[in-house]
Amino acid sequence: MHLLIAILSGVLFAAGVWLILRRSLARLVLGLILISHSASLVIFTSGGLQHAEPPLVEKGATALQTPFADPLPQALILTAIVISFGLFAFFLVLIKRAHQETGTDDIDAMSEVES
Amino acid sequence: MMEQLLTDSLNTAPITGMVILSLIVVMINALKKEPLATEYWVSLVGIVINIGLAVWVFPERGTAFSGSVMTGGYASVTAIIFLTAAALTIMLARVYIDKIGANFGEFFHLILFVTTGMMSFAAGLDLLVTFVGLELMSIPLYVLAGITRRNLKATEAALKYFLLGAFSTGFFVYGIGLIYGMTGTTKILDIAQNINAYSSEPLFMVGAGLMLVGFAFKVGAVPFHMWVPDVYEGSPTMVSAFMSTGVKAAAFSALLLVFTATFDFMHSSINTVVAVLSVASMVIGNIVALSQKNFKRMLAYSSIAHAGYMLIGITAGGGVSIAGVLFYLVAYMLTNLGAFGIASFIENSDQTGTDIDDFRGLYQRHPALAVILGVFMFSLIGLPPFAGFFGKYYIFVAAIENGYTWLTIVGVITSMISVYYYLRVVVVMFFQPEGEQVQTARFGREGAFALAVAAAGVLLIGVFPSVVLDWVSALF
Amino acid sequence: MESLLPILLILIAAAFAPLLQRVPGRVAGWGLALLPGAFFIHFLTLLPAVQNGGERLFTLPWIPTLGISLSFRFEGLSLLFALLVLGVGALVLVYAGGYLAGHARRGRFFSFMLLFMASMLGVVLADNLLLLFVFWEMTSIASYLLIGFYTDKEKSRRSALQALLVTGFGGLALLAGIILTGVAGGSYDIAALLSSEEALRTHGLYLPALLLILLGAFTKSAQVPFHFWLPGAMAAPAPVSAYLHSATMVKAGVYLLARLNPVFGGTEEWHYLLTLAGGATMVIGAFLAAPQTDLKRLLAYSTVSALGMLVMLIGLSTDLAAKAAMVFLVVHSLYKGALFMVAGVIDHQAGSRDVRELHGLARVMPFTAAAAFLAALSMTGFPPLLGFIGKELMYEAKMQAPSASVFLLVAGVLANAVNIAVALIVGMRPFVGRKPVRPGRAHEGPVSLWLGPLLLGLGGLVFGLFPSLIGRTLIEPAVQSVRAEHVDVALKLWHGINPVLMLSLLTIVVGVLMFLLRLRARRVAAELRVPELLLPGGLYRRVVDALPGAAGRMVRHVQSGYLRAYLFTILVVFILLAGYTFLKLPGWPIDTGFGDVSFYSVGLVVLMIAATIMVLVARTRLVAIAALGVIGFGIAAIYVIYSAPDLAITQILVETLTVLIFLFVIRHLPRFGVRSSVPTQLRDAVVAVFSGIVVTLYSLKASGVQLDTAISTFFAENSLPAAFGRNVVNVILVDFRAMDTLGEVTVLAVAAIGVYAMMKLRRGNGRVS
Repeated sequence: MHLLIAILSGVLFAAGVWLILRRSLARLVLGLILISHSASLVIFTSGGLQHAEPPLVEKGATALQTPFADPLPQALILTAIVISFGLFAFFLVLIKRAHQETGTDDIDAMSEVES
Repeated sequence: MMEQLLTDSLNTAPITGMVILSLIVVMINALKKEPLATEYWVSLVGIVINIGLAVWVFPERGTAFSGSVMTGGYASVTAIIFLTAAALTIMLARVYIDKIGANFGEFFHLILFVTTGMMSFAAGLDLLVTFVGLELMSIPLYVLAGITRRNLKATEAALKYFLLGAFSTGFFVYGIGLIYGMTGTTKILDIAQNINAYSSEPLFMVGAGLMLVGFAFKVGAVPFHMWVPDVYEGSPTMVSAFMSTGVKAAAFSALLLVFTATFDFMHSSINTVVAVLSVASMVIGNIVALSQKNFKRMLAYSSIAHAGYMLIGITAGGGVSIAGVLFYLVAYMLTNLGAFGIASFIENSDQTGTDIDDFRGLYQRHPALAVILGVFMFSLIGLPPFAGFFGKYYIFVAAIENGYTWLTIVGVITSMISVYYYLRVVVVMFFQPEGEQVQTARFGREGAFALAVAAAGVLLIGVFPSVVLDWVSALF
Repeated sequence: MESLLPILLILIAAAFAPLLQRVPGRVAGWGLALLPGAFFIHFLTLLPAVQNGGERLFTLPWIPTLGISLSFRFEGLSLLFALLVLGVGALVLVYAGGYLAGHARRGRFFSFMLLFMASMLGVVLADNLLLLFVFWEMTSIASYLLIGFYTDKEKSRRSALQALLVTGFGGLALLAGIILTGVAGGSYDIAALLSSEEALRTHGLYLPALLLILLGAFTKSAQVPFHFWLPGAMAAPAPVSAYLHSATMVKAGVYLLARLNPVFGGTEEWHYLLTLAGGATMVIGAFLAAPQTDLKRLLAYSTVSALGMLVMLIGLSTDLAAKAAMVFLVVHSLYKGALFMVAGVIDHQAGSRDVRELHGLARVMPFTAAAAFLAALSMTGFPPLLGFIGKELMYEAKMQAPSASVFLLVAGVLANAVNIAVALIVGMRPFVGRKPVRPGRAHEGPVSLWLGPLLLGLGGLVFGLFPSLIGRTLIEPAVQSVRAEHVDVALKLWHGINPVLMLSLLTIVVGVLMFLLRLRARRVAAELRVPELLLPGGLYRRVVDALPGAAGRMVRHVQSGYLRAYLFTILVVFILLAGYTFLKLPGWPIDTGFGDVSFYSVGLVVLMIAATIMVLVARTRLVAIAALGVIGFGIAAIYVIYSAPDLAITQILVETLTVLIFLFVIRHLPRFGVRSSVPTQLRDAVVAVFSGIVVTLYSLKASGVQLDTAISTFFAENSLPAAFGRNVVNVILVDFRAMDTLGEVTVLAVAAIGVYAMMKLRRGNGRVS
């Protein structure tokens, strides 16, 4: 399964990269979202995938029963998901504003080549 | 547990204090009808109080929250640097944001949020804290970059900054992921204990390399520098000022903490990469700056070049380098804030008028401003007796002592190139007649005071570098 | 405090000098001259103190952390230079008072002059090399301000910048050299370096340090090929030329070499580099002087030649050469300072500096003429003037040179002969002959204008007649500093008839011949025009003119302004670095086992890959968003399978919100269009595929590492007892890692504020004052 998810992360990343190299702002957003998905998966797999108990302490026990899913990467991913959501929301407003000011969502049309 | 929590909270008081301050200012903005003046004063007083807190916890060297943040010592010193930058920025921008119509009040609390982020970024001993700090620092900056209304350049700058920034923090996260995958922890100190074993592991090195990309982006080192000129030129001038000083200082402080002080990559292959980044930044930054016609853009390339000089210190490693880079950051912070500040004073309300030619005859109109800007330019070149000289000096000494004489030589040669473009500003100010459109500088008492502080600082630590050096040299 | 006080007081005077604007120029000149004059006398009284190498040390801690202190040292060489700086300085101030009597910005001029004087004193009195460097750069800045004093003239602005670029460039090299010296020698104090010179000379950094220091000294002292800034600097007012560009500042390089001679000298590198550079400068300077017709340019090139002689003499590294160098230093400062001032007087009073127009001025300007004659005689090396002694010593030193003495002698005779011709052209020719042009206009200036040159000229005569006045008292201690040992200096005017005297006579004959044949020589020289590009000055202009253009071209390559180009660069760097690391290290065990693959998981992954492709090719926005949703929920499903319920819940929540917000915003945006050409798309696809492969490889590697789960175990065991929470992920977030959760919440708040601020901006209701 490692292999499958690793391939999936790679595909998501590649797709994300291709999208952010496009000229349309909307595609850029899609690309960033895919890349952040890919990052989450990489972190998730690096903790080791296992069909184990969720990291919840059972009633009556004082510690997790082994085997348990590693809680640390989960905490990391949670942080990443929440932050990238915040970024996403802000970015959408930003491109909306850019579109209103320039009438296009083509980033090349916005930049003048300057030296 | 509770006592522990209490001590931890007390020792991290500057960071918590900044969060509280930011929220208070947000409240003021939301509740008061004419909040600007109140926000300004509350922010300023709050920052001063937080500087006091940072000084107060200085002796409490250690960690808090199960080793995830650093307290006292280094954390205090870096916090003081950022807070000072924030205070000067706010003062210099007081009249400016009014002039360009960005006086929505968001300016103040966004700056405060950025500062909070910088402090946790630079004090984080857990890569997660570092990451959250990085984001907390970056997001308000994305907003600040585009804070003026209906200005195409500003919108474009904000967009570019956001996209590239998000992209580079993506690299940062991947890096953390790989490092975690290798070590099973995100605690910097735990990783540092086994660093010798890890640093021969390609996976770990790639993880560190990806984090380095994130850092290099924030400090504006080549080849992750492309956003710098566009964003510095397009953003409101005082926002660029804060980016080029505070943000750069934060990124370098975090880089120092993670890479130099803790991981100590002195002899690993990562070091070669840093050296390459350093040379590329010095060469490209200085050469491209030669052809710039816009003052802000020129300063942008100059800031890329200065990132290169500071990377010499990172490459060299060791205690002298850390002190050297911190000293350089202080010197650069005062100098560059001042230089951007003067540009913001003479800028037009439509954010034009920052071409180098617009400084023509400044000496006739505002002799004091011209003299002070001259001081800043000489300091940026690295001429004595100004602060920039000792910044360069310490870094060069550190490099030579650690066997990087060739980097020093590159540094000196590129500094020679820089003489040309910094002096051009001086020539234009002092020796060229005024242009047809004469701009009168507007800065108010607050701006004048902040500028005086910056200029005095540049002179003071240029003549008596011990004032700063004693603080920064005994940290590790 | 002996050494610090004059510097401080003169600096203070410099700060207040602009106020003198209201005082008439001459009064201000006389008044200001009292300050250096008084210190000159004070320093004279210190002469006995340095007789036997006696030194006065003064040290003030400066940067104790680095062991750097403000240390000043008082010994023969320093004192000699200090006396020159103060003595010539006082006379020049008086002169400047007359020269700029009515000038609107004379206050500023005096301020710059005093700033220079203090800095130059600092250079010669500092013992710490870093301190010396600080003053060194200050003299460059002062020189820049003074050359550009006539701000309305384009030429003077250009020359000022040129001088500063060249000397500033050299200054930074000097700094690097000083740092290397400090690292190699263990100290920045010259006094300390003197005792560790052996270690320094054998140190690996010796040669780079030496080369960099020489670069600094050569640019400052206008050695070939950096000599071109000095004639350009003649755009400065005459007092500046007399003071900075002949008597003092240009000798700072010579001073540094002489001062460091005991530390760096004695090696082959030192000997050859100095004699070669000095010899070349001496000859080329003389050669370039020959065709000039402008008084100041003539003097400038002959100064270049003289500076070459000094550097060459130091390079010879013999007692005799050191003696000759010190005497010639004094001689040159006296006559060259005088002649520059005379040139200024002529320009000021007769309105021209062209030698072809000037004659017969002695009748109307008797005092100036007397000064000029005396100075010119000294310059020709005619007995009984001090110049004669200087030249004799120089020839003697060359004769006894360790090597190549014949070559040195021939070059010396040639250069000296040209200098004699220059002396006659500048010091004699304008004053004799037919009645002056515009006789009504040319008249003698006020005392302030002729006193300085006359005193300097008389100095050459008096010291020539009574050389013992300066021999033991002034020259001997200075020579001792240069040689780091006691050298007996007994100056005599007459040595009897010997080969040296013959050489002197020969020089004078050749020189006079050159003077007589000067018209023809000028014509020949005019035909011999060297292509400008070959001259260093031409090269400098080429470089300076071409730099901005070249930089501009570079910008277009590295800074296209296109976001995609930036991203592209970053990605390529990423692929190269990461891929390189991957390939470089062989033996990477990658766990490719499919392990526990279930049918469902395979189906899920395949579905998600299909959805990803849908996102890529979607032409309508709705399809793209729907496919994006599939991916998001697919990831949530993976979290469920691998026991991360919290993550799954958060992911589902966030994904739903994302899709909704996206749908809300995207309807405002135009449809997707294909905007890139096929090759671009292919190129991007290649980059994308490679980055994907890199990510896959590293992800596999990361999941293959056996983790030490001590930390997670800590959380697992302490979650309930210490933090009273059963959900370990939650406990980690809110308790053990409260700090980053606080940050995370703040990040969200900031993002919300950002969204709000942007919306507000869009509505355009910002308050504008």
